[in-house]
Amino acid sequence: MAMTSSQGLIKIVTRKLKSPPVITITLSIIAAVLASIDSGFYVIVNTIVTGGMWALVAMGLALVFGVMNITSFVHGEFFMIGGLTAYFVFTPFSDYLMDSPNPVVAFFIPILVMLIAAVAGVVVGILSELVIFRPLRKRTSDQWVMNSFVITLGLSVLIVNGTQFIFGTDFRGIVGYWPYPTLSFFNVNISFDRVMVFILAMLILGVFWWFMSASKLGRAIRAVSQDETGARMVGININGIQTLTMALSAALAALAGACLLFMYPAYPTVGMGPLFNSWFIVILAGMGNVGGAAICAFIVALLQVLTTVYFGEGWEFTIPAAVIILVLIIKPSGIFGSSVRGILDQ
Amino acid sequence: MEHVLEKTTMNTFQKTLNALCITPLGFFALVLLLLLPVIPPFNQEYLIRWMVVGLFMAAQAVAFDFTGGYINIVNFGFAAFVGLGAYTSGILCAKLGLSPWIGMFIGIIPAGLVGFLTGILTLRLRGIFAAVMAWFISLAIWGLAIKLVFLTEGPLGLNCPTLLETSSNLPYFYIIFAMFIITYVILKRVVRSNMGLAFTAIGQNMDAARTSGINPVRYRIINFTLSCAFAGWLGGFYAHYYGILMPEIMHTTKTVEVLVIVYLGGRASLWGGAAIAIPFVVAMELVRSEFSNYPGLHFIFYGLFLILIMIYYPGGFAHLYETLTDRFRKL
Repeated sequence: MAMTSSQGLIKIVTRKLKSPPVITITLSIIAAVLASIDSGFYVIVNTIVTGGMWALVAMGLALVFGVMNITSFVHGEFFMIGGLTAYFVFTPFSDYLMDSPNPVVAFFIPILVMLIAAVAGVVVGILSELVIFRPLRKRTSDQWVMNSFVITLGLSVLIVNGTQFIFGTDFRGIVGYWPYPTLSFFNVNISFDRVMVFILAMLILGVFWWFMSASKLGRAIRAVSQDETGARMVGININGIQTLTMALSAALAALAGACLLFMYPAYPTVGMGPLFNSWFIVILAGMGNVGGAAICAFIVALLQVLTTVYFGEGWEFTIPAAVIILVLIIKPSGIFGSSVRGILDQ
Repeated sequence: MEHVLEKTTMNTFQKTLNALCITPLGFFALVLLLLLPVIPPFNQEYLIRWMVVGLFMAAQAVAFDFTGGYINIVNFGFAAFVGLGAYTSGILCAKLGLSPWIGMFIGIIPAGLVGFLTGILTLRLRGIFAAVMAWFISLAIWGLAIKLVFLTEGPLGLNCPTLLETSSNLPYFYIIFAMFIITYVILKRVVRSNMGLAFTAIGQNMDAARTSGINPVRYRIINFTLSCAFAGWLGGFYAHYYGILMPEIMHTTKTVEVLVIVYLGGRASLWGGAAIAIPFVVAMELVRSEFSNYPGLHFIFYGLFLILIMIYYPGGFAHLYETLTDRFRKL
């Protein structure tokens, strides 16, 4: 008996080791280590720092797809709105701090700014759900996925050009949130902002994880994503959950936009890059797989860092896109697989 | 469908129109359009230029609607297929001295081939997958057009020889008019055939189609490839009309322009998008020139129209026309 159970265990372990997520993660870690031996430790540092942010953006996208079946194209615009809000809130504060320096306030203001940006995201998310997605849902049932996709496209065009109409095409960026000197890890210089932003991203990731797995609302969201009819039967308010999901997803994107304002100055079409990235991530992870998206964010970040290191600037969309297309030839449902109903059945 | 049933009682003219899939009213509109550029208030160069753009959009809308309307897959990389045809033709003519007239047709091959490969890869999955993957592929091609400077001259723009020596827009108007008619007639005839019936069945309910013995993947791939091939051909016109090619023509916004026209015109009609294209393009050009200090203002209309039509009137112009004519007949 003991023999068979240990053999069974070995079988399970080897099967786990052969599973696509483990293989991909191992390969990525090997690639990261080799690349950092070859061209310096900053490869890993850059990957981890940018990966943390893409994880936030991509998780929101995966969530909206999983719960509402919306293939959102407007996610980049939520990112842009976050950045824009952060800019307009932060600049008066930083001007004020110039006149009367105060270290405590200077430390906490950026965090406050990011929270305000997240609130802006919540507002925009709720508005777009109420004004656009709900009326559409009432009128479309059969071809919801394609129709909602097209309508997010329209919304994206509207927001981008509306912003351009109101604010113009100026780049609204900041040099940095925290006026502290650059830190140095293993001979790699990394700005304090990046470290802080990474810590914040991990913190938010943790809170989000807790929210989705332990809290009642998070469970309701997952229930809706698994089985909408079943969720309705046990008395979950579907409309409320859908509004909440949209708000949450937009808030995550806006938060990321605010956090990365020092890297991505806010201008109307800034959302394009984050949108591409988060789509790469979501497709690679398996559409609607929120946990997988968080891990794949780092893989895509690595892919992009490696591309910039070995191919130079300007290739950062082409080569990851090609790699992802290749991966999908082998495994169309994504590395982590998709649990969303009806992705592959048609 | 009525005119099909009455086939025996039709005269030669009606038979020809029926073979070309054009209604009498459509024929009248086309004749009017054909004469429009020589009638005095409309014979100015800038207006003809807008009409050329409008017809180019109309032809693209037909090719786009062939996939988007019938098998219900929005080809989100459509502009890249147009660009692929344009660049193939442009590079062959600019670097190897090929005649643009031949290059235009060679442009069909890469666009159709990439469309075919995309189709094989994604069309066995749910439609949205194909849409997003086509978008990724378009991003990859767009990136290549920017970076392969030795071939494409990158963002500076590739100078391609034009189709004709003349600087007048009028001959180009008739060329694109002919191309539009060819695109429309071929695709409409496909749609009217048994294959078109299969497309509609797949677009409406894939499982039901499969149960009726239709192989959805095969038909979807045929449809997608055909649409992409026409996109490549039209791209060839673009290259040799403007005489300069920039990677921008593959940008997602170009797909959006076509998509908005198709949705406004009415999905799964082929003619709806085409009918709306010229008035829409002219109106947008007017907005653009009128409010030239607000670049991108016309795109607000694109977004707004798309959202409104999707929520409140998904049938678009074609549906409006049909309801109106039905009501008219009842009177």
